[in-house]
Amino acid sequence: MAPEVTRVTINEPAQAYEDKHVHEVYDQIAPHFSSTRYKPWPIIGQFLCSIPTGWVGLDSGTGNGKYLSLPADRPGDIWTIGLDRSRNLLQHARCAGSDQPIREVVLGDILGSNWRAGVFDYAISIATIHHLVTPERRRAAVQRLLETVSPNHGRILIYVWAMEQDPLSKRRLPESDVGSAGLDVAVPWVLTGTEQVFNRYYHMFAKGELVGLVLEAAATLGLEIGSPSEGTTKSGRGVEIVQDGWERSNYYVELRCWRTQV
Amino acid sequence: MVRLITHNLLACHAKGCTSNNFPLRFENARVELREAEFNGDFLQGFLPKIEWNALVDTAKQLGDTSLPPEQPEMTDDEFLKNLHHVLMEIHVEEGVMICPNCSRNYPISNGIPNMLLADYEIA
Repeated sequence: MAPEVTRVTINEPAQAYEDKHVHEVYDQIAPHFSSTRYKPWPIIGQFLCSIPTGWVGLDSGTGNGKYLSLPADRPGDIWTIGLDRSRNLLQHARCAGSDQPIREVVLGDILGSNWRAGVFDYAISIATIHHLVTPERRRAAVQRLLETVSPNHGRILIYVWAMEQDPLSKRRLPESDVGSAGLDVAVPWVLTGTEQVFNRYYHMFAKGELVGLVLEAAATLGLEIGSPSEGTTKSGRGVEIVQDGWERSNYYVELRCWRTQV
Repeated sequence: MVRLITHNLLACHAKGCTSNNFPLRFENARVELREAEFNGDFLQGFLPKIEWNALVDTAKQLGDTSLPPEQPEMTDDEFLKNLHHVLMEIHVEEGVMICPNCSRNYPISNGIPNMLLADYEIA
């Protein structure tokens, strides 16, 4: 039987809680976790295929680095640099696939700002922001992505775990609790061989919650939402929501930054 | 493997360190050279994003003086080959990166740079 997820209440400082219930867990389950994460989700593959040659991007929360080698049919045309808080997962990401060339990875926090501002052409953050325990930290994570890509053309793709689960998913949710604020849960990971159970913290997103975070983060940075208005007579900066939706138990949103100068 | 392609993008982010916080200076760098597949189209696209002075100076720190002091307007094969080598084939495996402004040290271990801050250093 698939393990149940259980509801949790956080009564510790956010960083301490995430250290214990996210980062330490990933460091311990890294080899096993990595061996189960190899198949890229379709929309992420399509997004990376659409990135022009010569662009450099950030994979914020890269885990075992399964997206660093995409697109597979244009090796070396773009460079995605992986960032993660788990050193053990980065060891896997570094040489994702045994005969692959070595990848660029950095040990760091998705809430950090250890890059030149706006230096990346694109950024992805896949199944990562849902490990942050407060709405403020999740919004800050989106804000960092907006700050890290080019204000002129930066493109962003974010995936988070949804309360709306795929019928084929092995996960079973606690009954009730369906609201607009999402759900804080612990998800068990059973380590093969030892039968040891590690509980990871997740915030399961409610419908509309991810786009809400994007709107808040954009407002904090003074960005307009939507596409640049035609024939505009003033300079401005903004972010357009290119698409948002649900794929295999996850919500995603794709963004494009723009700047008009007159 | 901090290669210079990554190093050229990194900046110090310790609390209060917001200017002159780039480029980080290598110290005690142990370097390994590894051949990488050449991709001229990628390099042409990446060129405008490079902080050129930082790249030239850092390459010199690591013993490579093949790049011209000014970014050329016209690129030829020899230039691109040198640029490819500097960006993609020099791996810093061990050492530290030091902020020119606040002197914060970022260690590199087993090819992975550690950019994490302690709680009190977070802005």
